[in-house]
Amino acid sequence: MKILLTIIMGSIGLFANHFQLMYTPDTTLKSGKTIKMIHTMIHPYSDRKTMDMGKQHKGEKKFLEVEEFYEIHKGIKTDLIKTLEPIEFQGKKRVGRGYKSKYKLKKMGDHLFVIKPAPYYSTLEGIYLQQITKTVVNIAGKPTDWDRELGLEAEIIPLSKPYGIWEGSSFSGMVKASGIPVPFAKIEIEYLNSDIDMKNFKMGKAKTVAPQQSFKTIEIKANERGEFTFYLPRAGWWGFNAKHVGLKKDYKEKELSIEAVIWVQVKKIK
Amino acid sequence: MRKVFLVILVSSGLFAHTPLLTCMDEGDGTVTCEGGFSDGSSAGGVNFIVKQGEKILIETKLNSTSEINFKKPSGDYVAIFDAGNEHRVYLKSSEIFE
Repeated sequence: MKILLTIIMGSIGLFANHFQLMYTPDTTLKSGKTIKMIHTMIHPYSDRKTMDMGKQHKGEKKFLEVEEFYEIHKGIKTDLIKTLEPIEFQGKKRVGRGYKSKYKLKKMGDHLFVIKPAPYYSTLEGIYLQQITKTVVNIAGKPTDWDRELGLEAEIIPLSKPYGIWEGSSFSGMVKASGIPVPFAKIEIEYLNSDIDMKNFKMGKAKTVAPQQSFKTIEIKANERGEFTFYLPRAGWWGFNAKHVGLKKDYKEKELSIEAVIWVQVKKIK
Repeated sequence: MRKVFLVILVSSGLFAHTPLLTCMDEGDGTVTCEGGFSDGSSAGGVNFIVKQGEKILIETKLNSTSEINFKKPSGDYVAIFDAGNEHRVYLKSSEIFE
């Protein structure tokens, strides 16, 4: 019985790989413009299930709204929570509760977006997940905030720019929890294997076929200083999720796993 | 000799990066432009010019936040970020949007 349970739990762990996505079509803009974003919780490679952001296992409300959404430019924080509008995001197999937002970017430099969704109850794992997610959009090529450390409960701090990445080059980061490096942090990496239809809020067709699960969710570990580097073999969007790195907490009598996600966009050399 | 060497190093450092310019039509009859450099350094105090044909409409310097706001000229114009030594960026009004 114990062996069976171990096998089941192993399988659960293997296939959990939820990612909070914060997507916008282009992270390297030539000049200021109004950008649109989609916020949804998905399995980026397999598109196996679109989750309902903020889903609770008990309480008065079935879903809770996003806790924080903001942008940082030249160290100044702008609250964007009111820009979020609920949407139904259509995955291959399931519609999930997510958000859209739009925001006018005017200033040259980096615009570091952070979203902290409400904890999401994963029925499969029996725990809550809260993925604090970053996406950086740059205007005109002036670097200003891409490496800024925010002291979040769980955070991937880029050691290389998280934009302006050619296909075949790499991304490096450092995993921290409340400002403290997390040695040997486990990082799951997934390729966003579909285009995002910004108009109809849905995933497109799969772009690649993986020979086995290991290629869908790539797993690496940080070094003793919490640092990692990963080579990005294909143009598109890549998500990095540092798993279970925040300090252990309970939420509604369940374990709350605080995780750090960052998205990077890779472009093809033409 | 040492002082001369230091000055040369500082000068070459200034232009080892690319000048950048973005402008946005504010929609209120004004345009805001921002200058910068690809290494993140400030463009405060750098020359900024607005020309209509050969006529200079504005000749000033960017402020401490590397920006300038000016009244939108009627007709076509060019915004110029002039960091000297052929480090100039030109932006046509047709490339400046709201």
